[in-house]
Amino acid sequence: MKSVLVTHADLPLGRRIVKVLWHDPSVSRILALGEGAIPRAFNAYRSGVTPRLVYERIDLARQRSVSDLFRSKRMRVLGVDSVVYVPRHGAAPEGPPVVAKIPARTAEARLVLHHALESRSIRSLVAIGSAFVYKLAPGNANQLTERSELDLDPELAPEMRSWIDSDMLFNAEFASARLRVLLLRVPTIVASGGFIYLHPGLEGAAGMRVRPAGFDPLCSVISDKDVARAVRAALQADITGVFNVAGREVVPLSVLGRWTRRPCLPVPGPLLALASSTVARFGGERLRGRFDGAYLRYGMSLDTRRAAEAFGFTPRYRVGVARAGDGVLRVEAVAI
Amino acid sequence: MSGDERNGRTEGNGAKPQPPPIEVALGSNPFVDALAGEVDPLDAWLVALDRLAAGAENVVPARPVATPPRTTATTRAAKPLPIAEPQAPETEVEGVEPQGALARLVVGEEANQKLAALLGRIDGWDRFGLSRAGLSQAFPYFYALYKLYFRVQSQDHDKIPTEGPIVLAANHGGLLPFDGAMAVLDVLLNTDPPRLPRAIVERWAGTLPFVNVFYARVGQVVGTHENFSRLLGDGEAVLVFPEGVEGIRKPITQRYRLQRFHVGFVEHALRERAPIVPMAILGSDDQAPILFDVKPLARLLGLPTAPITPTFPWFGPLGLLPYPVRYRIVYGEPLRFHERFDPEAAHDPGLVRALANQVRRAIQALIDEHRR
Repeated sequence: MKSVLVTHADLPLGRRIVKVLWHDPSVSRILALGEGAIPRAFNAYRSGVTPRLVYERIDLARQRSVSDLFRSKRMRVLGVDSVVYVPRHGAAPEGPPVVAKIPARTAEARLVLHHALESRSIRSLVAIGSAFVYKLAPGNANQLTERSELDLDPELAPEMRSWIDSDMLFNAEFASARLRVLLLRVPTIVASGGFIYLHPGLEGAAGMRVRPAGFDPLCSVISDKDVARAVRAALQADITGVFNVAGREVVPLSVLGRWTRRPCLPVPGPLLALASSTVARFGGERLRGRFDGAYLRYGMSLDTRRAAEAFGFTPRYRVGVARAGDGVLRVEAVAI
Repeated sequence: MSGDERNGRTEGNGAKPQPPPIEVALGSNPFVDALAGEVDPLDAWLVALDRLAAGAENVVPARPVATPPRTTATTRAAKPLPIAEPQAPETEVEGVEPQGALARLVVGEEANQKLAALLGRIDGWDRFGLSRAGLSQAFPYFYALYKLYFRVQSQDHDKIPTEGPIVLAANHGGLLPFDGAMAVLDVLLNTDPPRLPRAIVERWAGTLPFVNVFYARVGQVVGTHENFSRLLGDGEAVLVFPEGVEGIRKPITQRYRLQRFHVGFVEHALRERAPIVPMAILGSDDQAPILFDVKPLARLLGLPTAPITPTFPWFGPLGLLPYPVRYRIVYGEPLRFHERFDPEAAHDPGLVRALANQVRRAIQALIDEHRR
């Protein structure tokens, strides 16, 4: 029986993972962490004298709060032996600024990993990373494996940089004898209702986006339900390393944008480059990636054979759009 | 939350009830109905071309587009997504056969059936960007080129294995890669069940606006090792031009003389246990004979070649159009190196180079034999 800590459980992907783990008979206790108030969806799971789910508010980017949590009596009582690191995502993926301009996502990954390594009871850590860390080669679509080159360009936009930094942090601990670290690189996550996560260009509030004219890269997509299934399978597996996890579908960026109410307006590339440099010059460094990221030109699909062999993950949900009763097309994930 | 979760059951415990059909659960099948309503930008261009070809008033739109009824923000927010009764899709399934004026004029019944059989195996976009809609829309144009412009004659196509991974290796020429398009079409039309060879293109092509989208939607793939390996692993037919750019920029004095081969295709054929089918494409080197290649200018402009032909640059971009030469495509006996060597042989550079030279000699022999 496992006792699992889940970070950012108040965000959509964290909520989904908590739900799946709660229904997993091999998970005895769940410690859900989040910055916000407890999600209403969790109310049903907290009944009884000793509820299986415990929720705690915490700022994961702050050293003191994370340190206090990992040394707290509550952690000892719950006997947490596994950690699921869900990165910051959703409406404000950048998060509040952290000291020395370190992105919140990187700071959180570092703190959670550091304390998991120091903890005597924690034996495994499953982290969700982004597949956008790969260096995208020219072409509308490229099949990427776990061995594909990472984009280590120091000039990358800060958001992309934070994904790569987090990825490297987890990579550095694959050889740890104390902690089993397993990193899942997931592409764009879509959820029913037109929600989209972990795509550097489309994440955030609905509305118009831009893309270079003449390019329409393929985006590999995965349902949030499949991500949760992959996390659950990874928790059970006694392995370490990095694994690509993706759904069956690949969708052009323009179509994915329409499906998720974020239409991408084609704009001539030179204009976008100008806009990017202008934005960067006037302090909008975080927006730079929205205009000239490689992911706006070159696409990818992920080779997931390694995950299938290592812990038996194959996608179970197909992602598409369906016309609901009110006649509006919405993204849906349907079990195959 | 899924029904299983609501019932406190998890997958794998044997008690899971069968899920309802997609149409019942969602009101319609999202993977037929909704995709039929999606418009790929490439489709839009091709539909516009189709209209131009026949005059707008005579043309039935190639694919009826389902436009969702406009709803206001208030109705969207207020309605909690009621599940509708199953209903027939609003649009017909796209891309079952090529439509439009050009298709009606030139595409025969047999070609239609081949295409329909091929399209039946494609669902939306494949992982390399091949689009069912893109293929069916582009097909009539290339078929017209195949039948009417280049008047392709094909020979010995029974030597193409009908299943399993294969590498088709051909000579390259003619400035613009019409030889690739004709080779793809020739294999498609002369195999049963029809096979769509996935042509490997230069990375440079992947950086070109619009061209990269078009190439991907009609099934061409940028030549990275992972792509090549995965295509063969999936049992696809892969078309390569081992000469690379050197083939298309060779001068008229070198026509039909094969240039030095790249060897990556042999490595992948050995690893993925695929036979190599040599192909000779006759006609491509005559479609745009290059008198001079101004290499300094090409380097300055970042282009693979800066050619001078009898028509280019004198007639502007029109000078790049190929001459209406007749194409002949001849297939050789498959070279089954994988039956003689282990996959580890792919790590031996000397052996791989020798095998690549053997393929080169086989193609050169086909060219020399059939040019006479």
